[in-house]
Amino acid sequence: MKPAYRSVFRELLRRELGERYRGSLLGVLWHLLLPLSQLLVLSWVFSHLLQARTQFENLSYAAFLALGLWPWNLFSNAVSNSVAALTGNAALIGKIALPHHLLVDAKVSASVLLDLAGFAVVLLALILFGTQLHFSGLPVVLLSLIILYIFAVGFANIVAVLNVFLRDVGAAISQLLSLLFFLTPVIYDLAQLPKTTQQLLLLNPFAAPIMSIRHAFLGLPIDWLHLGISALFAVVIAYIGFALLRRARPHLEDYL
Amino acid sequence: MNNASLPLVEVNHISKRYPVLANSSDRLSALWDMLRGRAPTRHTTVLSDISFKVMPGCSIGIIGENGAGKSTLLKLITRVLTPSDGDVVTRGSIGALLELGAGFHPEYSGRENIRLSAALYGISDAELKVKMPEIEDFADIGHYIDEPTKHYSSGMIVRLGFAIIAAVRPPLLITDEVLGVGDESFQKKCSRWIDEYVNSGGTLLLVSHSMYHVQKLCREAIWLHHGRIEMQGDVFSVTQHYLAWHESKRVPEKSSVPLDCADFEYGIETLLCNGSEPEGELVCKFGSDFLLDVVLTSKEGTAPVLMCGWGRADGTSVYGTSSEMDGFVARKISNGRYAFRLLFPKLNLLPGSYNLRVHSLDPTGLRLFQTRHLDIKVIGESRAYGLVALAHHWE
Repeated sequence: MKPAYRSVFRELLRRELGERYRGSLLGVLWHLLLPLSQLLVLSWVFSHLLQARTQFENLSYAAFLALGLWPWNLFSNAVSNSVAALTGNAALIGKIALPHHLLVDAKVSASVLLDLAGFAVVLLALILFGTQLHFSGLPVVLLSLIILYIFAVGFANIVAVLNVFLRDVGAAISQLLSLLFFLTPVIYDLAQLPKTTQQLLLLNPFAAPIMSIRHAFLGLPIDWLHLGISALFAVVIAYIGFALLRRARPHLEDYL
Repeated sequence: MNNASLPLVEVNHISKRYPVLANSSDRLSALWDMLRGRAPTRHTTVLSDISFKVMPGCSIGIIGENGAGKSTLLKLITRVLTPSDGDVVTRGSIGALLELGAGFHPEYSGRENIRLSAALYGISDAELKVKMPEIEDFADIGHYIDEPTKHYSSGMIVRLGFAIIAAVRPPLLITDEVLGVGDESFQKKCSRWIDEYVNSGGTLLLVSHSMYHVQKLCREAIWLHHGRIEMQGDVFSVTQHYLAWHESKRVPEKSSVPLDCADFEYGIETLLCNGSEPEGELVCKFGSDFLLDVVLTSKEGTAPVLMCGWGRADGTSVYGTSSEMDGFVARKISNGRYAFRLLFPKLNLLPGSYNLRVHSLDPTGLRLFQTRHLDIKVIGESRAYGLVALAHHWE
């Protein structure tokens, strides 16, 4: 009789959701407050100090930023939270032989669920403040979020395994993620850049999903070619992640 | 399907090598080896070529000195570790108590930790609801059950871990040095539970340094020595050989420092057993007289005290007394030399291996100076149990 992995996963997920706010006063509110303050600072700096402009006439910079920031955070938080998925559960891994991917899955799922909830709240706020959102674009939004999710799962597995062998990965990954943030059109509008720079930045596989979400909500045409390439990329990364975890499985305990 | 004749665990020629991780470049090369699908180049062998089977209903104790590979073996059986060579086939669920409580998250309450453990053991929510009071009852830690486990004492963690196992009753129970942690009454409760579990058909793998627990709870034993099986079979013969090996390891260390009675304030000059100098193991017949002739030296010229104690080979004390307790004053034979004669008429120790310790003490009988060990084997016919034949008669 195998342990019922579904209920193990449920317990792990419950833990992850609860653990983030254990012993904190504001609890789940943090998850809304932090990105909101991030949004506030970024939109103030870019729209007032740097006079950032977007191609969208009737869209405030804050709304423009919010539509890109939450999808990006969904990916980036999931990856950075997963770095310690295996190293942080060494005690559990050393006690019971449970499939290691459950631990990574629980981290990613918890992180994604919280960010999705945050995104929903922000969308609601945008509507209340009078932003025109096209809900006919929801299927594309969903598709793009799924692509980001697949990326997140893939990278989460990779960094979690690498962190078992080299503990530097944890420190390196948050640096790399913040660099990647600036190379992804979250705070700026790609359309306003020179053509060659646009081509260059579109090589970043995260650019297409983020832009597609924004375009879908604003009723603009979608760059299907780049979105397709990103999807392909995501699947390859996810495959590499799974393969790495499978190959490392017999060795992980030795290095934890 | 008849599962009763199939082993629960089959260990086939397994070996385990751990990578050597002395510095950080080792980790990098280990990662590189792993990616290429090779075994790590630098490693130490912890276990080599281990094979045995665990049949349903048997109880096996795993013994061996520290670092012999006992815990690694258990981790291989529970599949927490993967063997470097060979394979382990397991049937049925395993209740692993390895590093008991280590799977508990310190920030969570006992109750929350029970939930995850229950899920790991495959217990549904509905079942857990029924079993929760039973677990709380067995753990018997009161309101602590709702406190974070980081506030627990090590004994409480073991109580909680054991309570879960007792509620789950896995077909195979694996415990690693669990009994030694709890207090006296909880240890009793645990060994009673395990005893009952084994007697009602449960299967047990127990790692322990306590030969008492191994002999009490197991019928078979495996002695691991430097990662290999040194001996395997009936629990009594394996534990006796194991203890004998420990004794033999100790004796050369002692004799390497020759001690003379002149080195002591109060020394043992001569020791005669039944009139002769004892050499090696002394053989003595059950029920025959045992006579000790001892001459103690005293630098101060005051009469020293002789103490002598019998023990079984496993360390259990049998009987000890001293000339001071008995009010005997030694006979002075010359300046600073005192003679003692001690007779054990009709020695009623049951056949087996014993040791006798003879100590020289100061005249107050408080400070111990020199000690001599004698190994004594009592032979003879007796089917009685225990250590000593008590005087008795039937009416």
